[in-house]
Amino acid sequence: MTIDCKGEQLILNNERAIYWPARKMLIISDLHIGKSAHFRKSGIQVPNSINLTDLQRLTTLMAEFKPETLLITGDMFHNNINSDTNAFVYWRKNFAQLKVVLIKGNHDNLKDEDYDVLGIKVYQKELLIAPFRFIHDKPDQVDEYYNISGHIHPGVIIYGKAKQHLRFPCFYFGQNCAVLPAFSVFTGLKILDPKQGDRFYAITPAKVIAVKT
Amino acid sequence: MKLENSKGYKRVLSWLKLNKKKPFKFQTDAWQYYAEGYSGLVNAPTGFGKTYSIFLAVVIDELNKRVEQQTTASKNKQKKNITGLKLIWITPLRSLAKDLARAMREVCDELQLDWVVGVRNGDTPQSEKLKQKKQMPEVLIITPESMHLLLAQKSTFNYFDQLQCIVADEWHELLGSKRGVMAELAISRIKGLLIEQHPERLLRIWGISATIGNMEQAMEVLVPYTDLLKTIIKSEIKKKIVIKSILPDHIDMLPWAGHLGHKLASKLIPIINNSKTTLIFTNTRGQAELWYQTLLNQDENLAGLLAIHHGSIDYELRNWIEDALHSGVLKAVVCTSSLDLGVDFKPVDTVVQIGSPKGVARFLQRAGRSGHSPHETSKIYFLPTHALELVEAAAIKEAAKTQDIESREPIVMSFDTLIQYLVTLAVGDGFDDEKIFFEIKQTHAFRELLPQEWNWIMQFITSGGDSLTAYNEFSKVNKTSDGLWKVESRQIAMRHRLHIGTIVSDAMLKVKYLKGGYVGMIEESFISRMKPGSSFTLAGRVLEFIMVKEMTVLVKKSKLKQAISPSWMGGRMSLTANLGNLLRKKYNETLDKQHGDEELDFILPLFEQQAKVSHVPKSDEFLIELINTKDGYHFFAYPFEGRQVHEIMAALIAYRLGRIQPISFSIAMNDYGFELLSEQPIPLEESNIKELFSPTNLTDDIVASINATEMARRKFRDIACISGLVFQGYPGKYVANKHMQSSSSLFFNVFSDYDKHNLLLRQSYDEAFYQQIEEPRLAAALHRIQASMIIIVKTESYTPLCFPIKVDSLRDNMSSEELSQRIGRMTAESEKKTRRKKKTNDH
Repeated sequence: MTIDCKGEQLILNNERAIYWPARKMLIISDLHIGKSAHFRKSGIQVPNSINLTDLQRLTTLMAEFKPETLLITGDMFHNNINSDTNAFVYWRKNFAQLKVVLIKGNHDNLKDEDYDVLGIKVYQKELLIAPFRFIHDKPDQVDEYYNISGHIHPGVIIYGKAKQHLRFPCFYFGQNCAVLPAFSVFTGLKILDPKQGDRFYAITPAKVIAVKT
Repeated sequence: MKLENSKGYKRVLSWLKLNKKKPFKFQTDAWQYYAEGYSGLVNAPTGFGKTYSIFLAVVIDELNKRVEQQTTASKNKQKKNITGLKLIWITPLRSLAKDLARAMREVCDELQLDWVVGVRNGDTPQSEKLKQKKQMPEVLIITPESMHLLLAQKSTFNYFDQLQCIVADEWHELLGSKRGVMAELAISRIKGLLIEQHPERLLRIWGISATIGNMEQAMEVLVPYTDLLKTIIKSEIKKKIVIKSILPDHIDMLPWAGHLGHKLASKLIPIINNSKTTLIFTNTRGQAELWYQTLLNQDENLAGLLAIHHGSIDYELRNWIEDALHSGVLKAVVCTSSLDLGVDFKPVDTVVQIGSPKGVARFLQRAGRSGHSPHETSKIYFLPTHALELVEAAAIKEAAKTQDIESREPIVMSFDTLIQYLVTLAVGDGFDDEKIFFEIKQTHAFRELLPQEWNWIMQFITSGGDSLTAYNEFSKVNKTSDGLWKVESRQIAMRHRLHIGTIVSDAMLKVKYLKGGYVGMIEESFISRMKPGSSFTLAGRVLEFIMVKEMTVLVKKSKLKQAISPSWMGGRMSLTANLGNLLRKKYNETLDKQHGDEELDFILPLFEQQAKVSHVPKSDEFLIELINTKDGYHFFAYPFEGRQVHEIMAALIAYRLGRIQPISFSIAMNDYGFELLSEQPIPLEESNIKELFSPTNLTDDIVASINATEMARRKFRDIACISGLVFQGYPGKYVANKHMQSSSSLFFNVFSDYDKHNLLLRQSYDEAFYQQIEEPRLAAALHRIQASMIIIVKTESYTPLCFPIKVDSLRDNMSSEELSQRIGRMTAESEKKTRRKKKTNDH
């Protein structure tokens, strides 16, 4: 699904990513590499395959859009280095030419050297590429930049007949700020309340659909 | 020597005589069987000496042993009495434990038996627990969860050295819940320990249970061991119960359906005033709140004398209410069912039941609360909330006479509980997997467990899951050098201990005034939808929501007089099969006037109306009404199988109709029947009815027609918690590591996508099918319908029988005033149409 945002064309993909053709940039958020391994270390039985699936999905996106830059608006790594990180290292090697940019989020706690070794350029707080500000958690202040953020893991409920309802992750585009869905499959949802003037795009298994508010 | 001649027996008898008590036959029978080495089940109602039946048996045994020791010891030197745990008394009710302990200590004091009676559960302070660890009391009153916590300690094998007997009190309560499975497992381990260390010891296992439909099975579940002699002892006490319905002055005053009979509230006031203490039972917590308000509005003098008491109210407040009632500070209490562990009051003078209790066992339990001595007749008032409920009153009366009581189905194959248990053992002294497999195979819950399933579970807790690859970095239970499976990480062990016994339905949050003082508990799902500043009622007060802080809801007194009553999700009980059966029978009897029930007399005009415009179904008939109104085409069917079954049946029939031609329905149901409403004519004829209601292909059609995944997902919430995947907040006690927050829904999705053979996933679907969908009951109902004569009535206006269903479906969208106005209009319209019809027929 292609939408217009502040005069820029953005492609919303149902693998929970945005492609910005003008800048050849693939934008995702909340990858949480290492989350499943972190749980396993603490004795909680999360299947191995989750991390691999997330990386597989990234590969598919790379093949589809062939971006020059991969921008992650925060929470790329879940906690610290563990076996899941190794998988990422191998994955990274396949796309040596790709520029990987990370805007730090609350879970990103690696040392600067670690990021260097992985070939990731890190911004501590935000990155401005007109007309957008890329930041992890949406800021309070409003200015001329349109914020693109993550952190919330947004979801939306679609209601049907007879009190049926389904929950989906979604892209949220508000007046001043957009929130990306969490990229990783091993994340929960925070359901947002649609308000006047907001645009919601639900990510269903088949495709991205605009939700009528 | 005969038991009656033993010193112990005589001493107990003379002690009882001193207190002007004579033992009942069932008690002396129990003592006799116990002395002969039996295990078994004592069937006795609450409050009539069930405790003494086994407790005194154990005491007599001890007294006799001491006499024996003394006679042998006098030949040698004086031997000191061996201390240590002799009797484990499992009770599900924490609130009762203190009372039990007090009663038992009294007995020991007066018999000069130097036993220590201890209590161990979630309320026991840490210092007390440490004291017990150093020196176990002779009697330990404990919950199933705390038994597991004991097993999660190190060096537990010492605790049970002197153990003679395990008692499961309120066994009917534990049976049919996962806590019962926890009890089964704990007993199996203790028995296993004793066989190893003291193979000569005879461990007796006794249950004490109220009457349920499957007493034999209840005993089998508690005592599955073939090496034990067992028997059922029934108390001969039959409480006489008199049921008096509160009737309006004229049948017109009672609505055909809908609003909660508040019009009869004025009749309750004199009943309350004429009794010293009264318990008023309602079926749901929401109704309790509503009735509390209604009674206060009826009579201001009740303010300060009337209290509300249900499971969601804080434990301290509950205790205060209980004491205040018995000291006379309070005159009456509005409360909900005691069958779900909320309340256990000492007997009162009068009991009122508002609305149908929906089941025989529940009703008898409540009725049993009135009347202080076993020989007194219990009087219980029944207040119908709509006309048809009077038939339920008549049915209940008969059920009380014939003792046709529901069974409690035991839970089997609850993998989550087994997983929790194994990790518990691993956290404690560690376990030998072959030995434990053998032990759990002896329990009723897991006797059908397959080796593959056991292997999956072992893999789940040791390598993380998948049989093919070990999970990276997964660490929970490992085999140590001494060959036992243990949890070596202290962090994991600590987390597990904090988490044992989490059997949660909806996450409950404590409600507290901002300035201090607890009010009660409320469902998280209700609060999550509240906006700051809005009001709701709880514990009879109108509260204004401020915010949620650290898992506590902060409120202040609202300025409003009324507000929305939270509707608790767990509130809706469904008509049981037993009662449904009796109900169908009573419907027969009403028109034939072959009954002796004043309720049926009163309601006769309504039945005559139903017979006139439609039909009153006989026991061997199945009634279907096809009604065309300006609202659309209605299809009503009346299986009398309870709301829960009807919900599934309605979806099933809707699905099957949809296969004949594309058609969409809105669905409504109650305990008597269900409705399908469509904008188009419904493709239903005499010829295809039996096929629509056929039990063939039932499972496939159920899966196709309802959202089985959603039901399984809901069941999975508890399963994820119990098996240790997810941690529910313990308000104030334990805050999950922020990096480890997750939800059961997430795991459900993950397992559905990446681990389809996960046993916990399978368990959630099984639970959905047996507990929610009640497939066996549904199948039985469909078979019954196949054998019945189908009566189809076509008419143009609502009938008395369909009315309650219709009104229930409107309830969600209207305020109570709008609803009663709408009901009034519908009734008037129906009556007008009948009169018109009559006029035309009279020509």
